[in-house]
Amino acid sequence: MEKFIQILKNLDRRWIFLLIFLACIIPFWVPQLFDQKFSTSKETQRVYDIINSLEEGDAVFIDWAFDPTLQAELLPMVEQTIKQCFDRKLRVFIYYPYLTGISLGENLVEEIKKEAHYKDLQSGVDYIHLGYLPIGIDMMVFSMYSDFKSTFGKEGKIFKGIKTFADIKYMMSFAGSAHPELYLLLQRRFGFRMGAGVTAVTGPDFIPYLQTGQLDGMLFGLKGAAEYENLRISKGAEKEKNHRANAGMASLTLSHLVMFLFIGLGNLVYFYERKYKKSN
Amino acid sequence: MKKEIPILIGFFATIGWYLEFFFAGTFFENWKMFFTTGFRSVAIVGLLVGIVSVLRVNYSKIKYNNDRWYSVYQMSIIALMIIFASLRGVSPGTPFDVMFYYGFSPLDATVFSLLAFYVASAAYRSFKIKSVESAFLLVAAILIMLSKMPLGEAMWDKIPVIGEWIMDGPTSAGKRAILFGAFLGGLTMMIRIAFGLEKSHLSD
Repeated sequence: MEKFIQILKNLDRRWIFLLIFLACIIPFWVPQLFDQKFSTSKETQRVYDIINSLEEGDAVFIDWAFDPTLQAELLPMVEQTIKQCFDRKLRVFIYYPYLTGISLGENLVEEIKKEAHYKDLQSGVDYIHLGYLPIGIDMMVFSMYSDFKSTFGKEGKIFKGIKTFADIKYMMSFAGSAHPELYLLLQRRFGFRMGAGVTAVTGPDFIPYLQTGQLDGMLFGLKGAAEYENLRISKGAEKEKNHRANAGMASLTLSHLVMFLFIGLGNLVYFYERKYKKSN
Repeated sequence: MKKEIPILIGFFATIGWYLEFFFAGTFFENWKMFFTTGFRSVAIVGLLVGIVSVLRVNYSKIKYNNDRWYSVYQMSIIALMIIFASLRGVSPGTPFDVMFYYGFSPLDATVFSLLAFYVASAAYRSFKIKSVESAFLLVAAILIMLSKMPLGEAMWDKIPVIGEWIMDGPTSAGKRAILFGAFLGGLTMMIRIAFGLEKSHLSD
């Protein structure tokens, strides 16, 4: 035992890195390694139901507030949201508060358009990339409530009937930071409806807003994205069973188990040493 | 006058925006575009200042051979991206987009994903039950982690319910307390700026 504790105590952190690395990548080759069945949280269900309840031609504003650092968690959820909007024939406005998100968003929409079901979608008619504005969200919201189109300086049939932000039926903010709070601060003033898609780390920050009803729904981390994906799979809207978010769930499970193992081992060393010191 | 004018601008802007919130669209309808255009102009000038600053820093590094090749590399990439964007645009499939999507994007994601390895290592070294409080923290953390993966629900169907309770109850209460404190601090700062008591933003 003493020897084992000594090995653990002097464990090179590169062994931890290696195990975490293997735990992350192996499940991508063996996705059936863990049971993937899980229920849908009420926050995810609400986002799905709200978008599903919108009528053909209604406008949805997507706030793409993330860059490639967070794409593993947020890209799957934004993909399904946009696809659901396209399925419902909603008009999609995608705004990028960060410059480094633009290319990611444009490429995702192009990727979606490669699927047979979405190949006829047109930029400026069914969706539009509003680009980046070098102003704060508060300024942008005020500007959008004065004149939506001129705020972004874009043209297209998609703007028909959209004078101000009040004509947008729903907005979803996707971020891995406190960014959606910037909208929530002005929500009381203007009264728009919004939901959020956030990383698992930032999710707890938004729970008070869910409780007050300021956020209609929330996609919470990779699991939230997988729940959303499963909802669409169950309705037959998403064909691929092990799509982007679900593909990552086994990796998430195994890497967490490795974390538990190391936390357990760390505590074993700690308690053994404490007992040993006491007995001496 | 160098200090008084910015303080006066701060005073009117703060009071104006504050009142705007409560008298929505009654008095300040025409101000909105004025402010948003003004901010956009200021932000663009800020962007130019940033570019000049990057050029100056890297120029001196190249001149005095202080990590010269890193600076040469950085400047070359910046120049290349600007040239590509100017010649062919930035839409999907253009050289700019290819560099962004297949160069910047994986590098950016890789740097962030390194966090997972450091978190695991740090958890092993420091996540120990040294007191009753840390025991609570560890148990709560494990329950939350289990509730956020399919295995938790497979083990016991009540784990997601417990995870939700922790999030909705104790976590939310703590977050609310922090939010109250932060916003009260923000309000105090607003009053201090409006009345010229806070001058740090004027480099004073």
